Amino acid sequence: MEYKPTILSGGESRSDDQIMAAHERKHVKRVSGPGLPGSDGQGEPLVIMELLQRLRVKDVMRDHDIISVVRTDTMHFAQNLMKRNHISGVPVVEGKRLFGIVSINDIILALEGGWIGDPCQKHMATNLVVLEEDMPLAFALKYFENYIFGRFPVLNKERDLVGIVSQRDVTRVLMRELTRELARLEGGTSSPSLSAEASKSEGALPYYSMRQFVVVRNDLSNAGKAANEIKKMLGEAGVEKKIIRRVAVAAYELEINICIHSLGGSITFILDGHKATIIAKDKGPGIKDVEWALRDGTSTANDWIRSMGFGAGMGLSNSKRVADFFDIKSTIPTGTTVLCEFNLPEKK
Amino acid sequence: MNINDIVKTLDGTLVAGGESDRTVGTVVANDLMSDVLLNDGDDILLLTSLASDQAIRTANIVGAMCVVVHNAKPLPQTMCQVADTLGIPLVSSPLSKYESCVRIHDFLKAEAGS
Repeated sequence: MEYKPTILSGGESRSDDQIMAAHERKHVKRVSGPGLPGSDGQGEPLVIMELLQRLRVKDVMRDHDIISVVRTDTMHFAQNLMKRNHISGVPVVEGKRLFGIVSINDIILALEGGWIGDPCQKHMATNLVVLEEDMPLAFALKYFENYIFGRFPVLNKERDLVGIVSQRDVTRVLMRELTRELARLEGGTSSPSLSAEASKSEGALPYYSMRQFVVVRNDLSNAGKAANEIKKMLGEAGVEKKIIRRVAVAAYELEINICIHSLGGSITFILDGHKATIIAKDKGPGIKDVEWALRDGTSTANDWIRSMGFGAGMGLSNSKRVADFFDIKSTIPTGTTVLCEFNLPEKK
Repeated sequence: MNINDIVKTLDGTLVAGGESDRTVGTVVANDLMSDVLLNDGDDILLLTSLASDQAIRTANIVGAMCVVVHNAKPLPQTMCQVADTLGIPLVSSPLSKYESCVRIHDFLKAEAGS
């Protein structure tokens, strides 16, 4: 699954956010990390990568009291609205439909040009880059990296405006979730999360949970335990049997792969109301040719591995076959990370 | 075909995993566990020569109803323990895998015809 930037057509204008973002780029050294600006997704702490995949744009956006104008409101009205609320841009909306954005830059141009009394629809920016509410947060961060906007409108599947997300919103929620995650890791207790709130929606599975399993190199006597635990968790959550089997197959194949082909690693399993995610990450040595490794029947397994019933070269292709979304990144000698996602249909 | 039928037909012994009232839905004869994982059938009877914990763990992943190990291979204690833990009946048979396939085929054919 690859999210393409969504751009609403129309004219283009440069907002103050763009200017501010450009300023930041010159003066702020960015942090590298998984899915973070400037990151290649390798070598980052798992907990951050999991958060960036688990959290969705809808988890961080502001979805209430969205300050907006309608197309017939004047630029002057928009100016006053922005001034009163200390904001640097307002979306132009009719009902739930987004038509454009009026930024401070548009206001300055209107004041200079003498059209401050004109309706917003004449001067608003209509060439908009928007986010979708179900995008993983990792994609949103890439947007902030790739575009010099300080905030993005968020649309749902029906293309309705459902929120606004700014870099500040992302930082606020990310810090909160990281704090919770650290507390959980240090205290060994499970903690409620944003996704737990999200899963309260009708038909969603009842809870969010995450577990991480260490996979030791060549320890075939224990390989498969993680997959069996994952299967158990899904069963307890009431997930449909056929989906449980698909998730378990991927978890098992990836666990065995880490055990027999790598220097060791981990399997992280995340279950939320709508999705089951497996992140298999090893410590190296990496795969030379990922495309080759994904083909059925290709394997570097030795006789010992084959004598244990593995090494048929089906592990990665099997995992890809059963997953709704599959991604693999590998670098030598850092290691390989495989992501498998499974959609969980709503309970009837 | 239930567990008792399997044991009787294959001259086998139920060594671990306990009794079960499940019946055979699909028969899979394979020693490569990834091949087993490819199978989409339900209530799998897994015929294998792989005498290891992984045969049982694989069986659990695909929801198999029974695992049969052939040629009277000695079964590791840990394999039996895993079978007990996961509740998967584990049968040891002196037959070759080929002979087992033939006998099970004949049994299922007769069962379908009766």
